[in-house]
Amino acid sequence: MTELSLQKIEAMAPDQASLQAARKLMKPGIWSGLSTASAGLVWGECQSSGAAPYRVVISEPDSGYKCTCPSRKFPCKHSLALMWMRVERKAAFAEAAPPEWVQDWLRRRRPAAKSDAGDEAADESAPRPAKNIALTASEEAATVDPISEARAAAARERSRLERESSVTAGMDDLDQWLADQIDMGIAAFAANPGKACRLIAQRLVDAKAGGLANRLDELPGYLYTLPDAMRPVAAINELGQLHLLAEAWRRQDSLHPEMRADLRREIGWSLTREALLDDRSALRITGTWRIFATLEEAQQDRLRRFETWMWRESPGDGPRFAVLIDFVPLAAGGARNPWLKGERLEATLVFYPSPVPLRAIIGNMEGSAQACHQEMQLPDSGVEAAWASWESALALKPWLRVWPLQFRGTQVRRSGQQYYLCSTQTAVALPILRPQAEMVAPLLCVEHVDGFALWDGSWIRMCLGQTELGFWGIT
Amino acid sequence: MNAATLRDRVMPVLLGGTRRQPLPDLALSPAEEPARALHALSLAGQALRFERPPAPAQFTVEHWPRDERRLLPPNLRGKLVDLLYSRKCAEASERILAWTFARTRLRPHPFDFPSIREFVRKYAQYLGLAAQHWAQRDTPAERRNQYFEAEEISAKNWTEAPRASRLRFLEEMRQHDPAGARELLASSWGREEPETRLRLLAALQTGLTEADREFLKALDKDRAPRVRMLAQRLLAKLPGASGENPALRSCLSRIQKLQKGKLRRSVALKLELPANVKEQAASRWIQEQFEGVSLEELANALEISADDMPSAAKDDPNLLFALALMASREKHFALLESITHLLADTWGRMSAVDDEEPSFSDPAERQEWARTLVHPAQWNPEVPYPAWDWLLRRLEGPLPQPVMDELLRSKWWSEQAASDPPPRPEVIQVICALCPPQLRGQLRGQVEALAPESNLEGLLLLDILEGLESFA
Repeated sequence: MTELSLQKIEAMAPDQASLQAARKLMKPGIWSGLSTASAGLVWGECQSSGAAPYRVVISEPDSGYKCTCPSRKFPCKHSLALMWMRVERKAAFAEAAPPEWVQDWLRRRRPAAKSDAGDEAADESAPRPAKNIALTASEEAATVDPISEARAAAARERSRLERESSVTAGMDDLDQWLADQIDMGIAAFAANPGKACRLIAQRLVDAKAGGLANRLDELPGYLYTLPDAMRPVAAINELGQLHLLAEAWRRQDSLHPEMRADLRREIGWSLTREALLDDRSALRITGTWRIFATLEEAQQDRLRRFETWMWRESPGDGPRFAVLIDFVPLAAGGARNPWLKGERLEATLVFYPSPVPLRAIIGNMEGSAQACHQEMQLPDSGVEAAWASWESALALKPWLRVWPLQFRGTQVRRSGQQYYLCSTQTAVALPILRPQAEMVAPLLCVEHVDGFALWDGSWIRMCLGQTELGFWGIT
Repeated sequence: MNAATLRDRVMPVLLGGTRRQPLPDLALSPAEEPARALHALSLAGQALRFERPPAPAQFTVEHWPRDERRLLPPNLRGKLVDLLYSRKCAEASERILAWTFARTRLRPHPFDFPSIREFVRKYAQYLGLAAQHWAQRDTPAERRNQYFEAEEISAKNWTEAPRASRLRFLEEMRQHDPAGARELLASSWGREEPETRLRLLAALQTGLTEADREFLKALDKDRAPRVRMLAQRLLAKLPGASGENPALRSCLSRIQKLQKGKLRRSVALKLELPANVKEQAASRWIQEQFEGVSLEELANALEISADDMPSAAKDDPNLLFALALMASREKHFALLESITHLLADTWGRMSAVDDEEPSFSDPAERQEWARTLVHPAQWNPEVPYPAWDWLLRRLEGPLPQPVMDELLRSKWWSEQAASDPPPRPEVIQVICALCPPQLRGQLRGQVEALAPESNLEGLLLLDILEGLESFA
C-alpha cells in the first residue's frame, strides 16, 4: 500500500494554479464532516460558492479521488486540498463509517491502474508542467491602496445606478409588451408564446434584468406542458405576476426591506454567498433537516439548476421549509446534485431575506448528511391546512412560484387519467402533475398518504410519501 | 371588485383582447386608470392563484386485489430497483429473481412497480396478485386474466396458471386420476397455443393407458406437426400398437451398423448426415429427426440393448448427441451420464437446439438431469451466456451443489478473473443465478475480485437473493 505524499500531490496536480487554489482551501473551518475509515478512505464536505457544499472523497492507497464540483481539472482543487490536509495533518479526521455517497463512489469506481500517480511521477520521460507546492506559500500579501479603493467604490456605485436605470427602462418595455398582449388577447398569446417571449426576454437581458428574462424564457415551455384548455388561464396567471413585479420595482422604496430584497433577487440582482453569511441580520435556523425533494432542470441560460428541498424535523419557531438552489454550467457535463432525497442533516441554514423565507444556504453543518429511513413525525395537518399555508404565503409574497406542502392523512385518487391528492372528505383535490401519473399510481392501493409535495399554482408535484407500506419516492 | 367579478367579467375580455371589447370599470384610482389593462391582468391572475382547483365530479373506483404475500425487506428495495433498472441487467437475473419471489412467497414493493415495469410485466405471474393487477392495468377489462397464485391451482383455475404450473399439476393428476387429467386437458385443448399443446401433451406419458388411445388418435388431425408426431409416439407405446413409426424408419435409413474388431467382435453404429446438412446445422437436423423416436424402439430395431448403444456410437459424436437427446427426453439419466462422459459438450449442443423441449416438472428430476449432463471441468461453452442461461431456464433454479463446486474450481472460471477484457456482466450474473445458497459465499469472494464493470450487477443479485431467502 502506497501512502499519499506531497510529492505525489505535486505530481497529480494538473497545474500550479490548482495547487495555489488548493492551498487556499486548507482551512478546517470551511470543511465539515472530515472523516476517515479503514483502507485509507478519507472524505469531507467543502463549502462552495453555492448553497450546497462539495462532497470530496479520496482513497489514499491508490490516490483515487472524487469531488462533486463542476471543475474540469482532475483532480480539482478540493480533492488536492483534502489530500494535502491529510498529508500535513492540518485537520482532525474522525473515524466513521462511510456514508452512502462514499459507498456509492466505492461501488462504481474502477480499480486503480497499476502505475499510480506516484509511479507516473517517477517516470521522468513524461513531460509535465512544473509544479511546486513550495511556490504556493510565497504569495505576497496584496497591499491596499486607499485611492484606488475609493475609485473602485465610486465605479461600483456608478455601475449600480446605471443598472437601476437600465432595469427601470426594461420594466417600462415589459409593461408595454404586456399591454400589447392584452390588446391582442391572451388566448392568442397562449396559442403561440415562443417568439413573443423570446423577444421580450432578450430585451430584459439587455436591461440587466436576467431573473425576469429567465422567467419569460421558461414561460412557453411551461405553457406547453399544460392541456390546451388550461393554457390561456395559466398565461393570465403568469403574465399578471410579471406586471406585479414591474410595478413593485417602481415602488421598491416603499416596500418592506425583506420584500424589496426578494423583489430585487427576482428581477436578477444577486446576493453572494459570502455577503449573506456576513449579514448578521440574516435569518439563521439550526435544526435537523430532512431532504424531501431534489430537482434538476436545464435552463435556457445554459445553466443547470439543482433544487434541494428540506423540511425541518426539529420543532421550534421559524421556517420549517428551505430550498438550496445551486447552478452549474451545462458545459460541466454530468454534474449531479450532491444531496439525495431522504438524507438527514444537522445544520444551520442561513435564509435569503424574503417575506416568505425559503431559499437558503448552509451556514454550518455538523457531520455529514446521512441516508435516513426513519419514519417522519409530521404535524397532524391535512391538505386543507397545506392549502391555507399556500394562501398565507401568497398573500405575503404575490410573485411566489412554488410552495412546499406538508400533509397527513390524505389519499391519492384518480378520475380518468388524472390523479389527485385529496383530503379524506375530498373537499380539496389538488391535481398531480401528469408526467407523475405512473409513479403515483401505486399510491391508489394505500389508505393514507403523509408527506410532502410542491405546489406551483396549477399542479402538485408529489415528492415524498410515508404510508402504511413504507416510503413512497425513495427506495 | 371581487374575485367572482374578475373571473366572470374581466377574464373573458383579457382572453379575447381589449381591441375587441373594452374592459369594465375596475374602480381604480385616477392615477392607476391609464394602466387599467395591466392592473386587470395582475388582479385577475392573482385571483386565480387563490382559487382552489375544482374537484372532479367523481373518482374512479379502484380494485386493487388483496395480496397476502409479504413485501420484500425495505433494505432490498433500492438494490432491486438498481439491478433491474440497470442496462446491464441480464435476463438470467430477472428470471431467478422472479422464481425466488414465487418460492419465498414474497413480493416486490408496489411503489417500485413503475421503476421496474418491464420486470413486472414479464414476470407478473410469479410476483403476486398486486403485480398481476399492475401488469394488466392498461389492458381492457374483457382481455384481462384472472389473478392467480401457484399454490392455489385447481381444475377450476387451471387454464389461468403459467404453463409450467399447469404441466406440473397435470402430471401430478395423471398419477392418481389419469382419466380426469386427460379430460381436463381435452376440455381446454382447442384454446391452447401449439407450444402449450405440445408441452401439456407430454404429461400424458405419465400413466399412459389404452383409455388414452381415442384422444391421441384424434390428434392425428392437429394443426401442429410436432403435436401430431408426439401423439404418434405415444400411440406407438400403447400395447398392440401396429403402426410402423415413420420417424424410426427414417432414422434407421441413416444409421449404419458395423462389426468391428478381429479378435473381439463388437458393434459400431454410425449416423450418416444428408449431404446438404452442414456441420453447423447438424444438431438441429438431429433433433428434428430423432424427436419422434424412443430409445427403446431404436434399440429394438438395431437389435442392441439401449445401454450398449453409447459405446457402439462412441466414435460418432452426432449419433451420441442423438442418443443424449432421447435419454434426456425419456429421463434415462444413467444412460445420459454414460453419453456425457463420451461427449463432453452434450449440453452445449443441446442448448443450441433445445429451446422448446419441455422441462421436467419435478425439481428433483431437474437436479439429477443437470448432475448427469453438466461437467464444467471437462468442457465449457465458447459462448458462455446462452449456454448457461439455457441451463438456468431448464432448471428454474440453481445447479446441483457438486456441479457448481466443480464449476468454481474449473479452468474456465479461474480464467475469467484474469481475462482481458473482463468477462461480460451477464456471464457473471448467470453464474450467480445458478449458484446454490451453500456456495454463494465462495462465489462472492471470487466475483468481488473481478473488475467493477463486470461484477456490480452480479454482486447486487447475490445480495438480493440472500436477503430474500433469509427474510422468507
